Amino acid sequence: MIQPQSYLNVADNSGARKLMCIRVLGGGRQTATIGDVIIAVVKDALPNMPLKKSDVVRAVIVRTSKGVRRENGMMLCFDDNAAVVINKEGNPRGTRVFGPIARELRDRNFTKIVSLAPEVV
Amino acid sequence: MGESCQRAVERFNSTPAAGSPANSVAMVLKTTLCRFSGLRIWPGRGMLFIRTDNQQYLFLSKKCKSLYHNRLRPAKLAWTTTYRKAHKKDQVTEVARKKRRTASKATARAIVGVSLEVINKKRTEKPEVRQASREAAIREIKERAKKAKADKAKQSKAAAAKSAPAPKAVGRGKR
Repeated sequence: MIQPQSYLNVADNSGARKLMCIRVLGGGRQTATIGDVIIAVVKDALPNMPLKKSDVVRAVIVRTSKGVRRENGMMLCFDDNAAVVINKEGNPRGTRVFGPIARELRDRNFTKIVSLAPEVV
Repeated sequence: MGESCQRAVERFNSTPAAGSPANSVAMVLKTTLCRFSGLRIWPGRGMLFIRTDNQQYLFLSKKCKSLYHNRLRPAKLAWTTTYRKAHKKDQVTEVARKKRRTASKATARAIVGVSLEVINKKRTEKPEVRQASREAAIREIKERAKKAKADKAKQSKAAAAKSAPAPKAVGRGKR
């Protein structure tokens, strides 16, 4: 359940370390969940990387502590809120993805991220 | 709907035999166990919590999850199965395990030098006969040994006699 002003961890090696959501994309919605695309600001970044602090980026949410409800009625939730920085085409800006990732991303056609992920649950 | 479902679950849990068709439900529902409470998770329920290190925890409800995150130990909560097990609250039907033991059959079969018939014949012999034959064999061996010894002694004597008139060892002479 991500809304504007929510902070997220970054689950890739794009160079950003913290993101702040400033907009949820898709039909004037207030909150975003796993698989949704948001506009975010880089609040913290690693030095000497393409992404700098205060850059505005697109990101897809890959983990939320609120979780998502599966088709079989089971909830799936994580430790933290995390996102992967993407470009306009939906491909990740980094080359690696860290941590477990929900299978819901595959349904949203983020196959590149899913294939990079070490664990898909 | 939720409450009635809960009641049904409790009724099912209270039945001692888990596998028996107590509710006369023809369909077999696959259930899993809650990591915290140990209760059964029926389809449509449950919460899969995934830690960042990929450790997966399956909880029955939000209650179980929050108690787990509050670091409460299920062994101290009276409603969990671990507590009930520890305090012997339920009637445990001790299922006597059948002891499986591989019956080692002693079957007679032919070994390298001896055929099956010989073995069977030996087995069916009377003990006295066996004893007698054994003694005879021992006696024979002893006799043979004695004879061999005697032979050896004779030979060595002969050899000694032969070697006695051997030529003297030639010295090196003066240097």
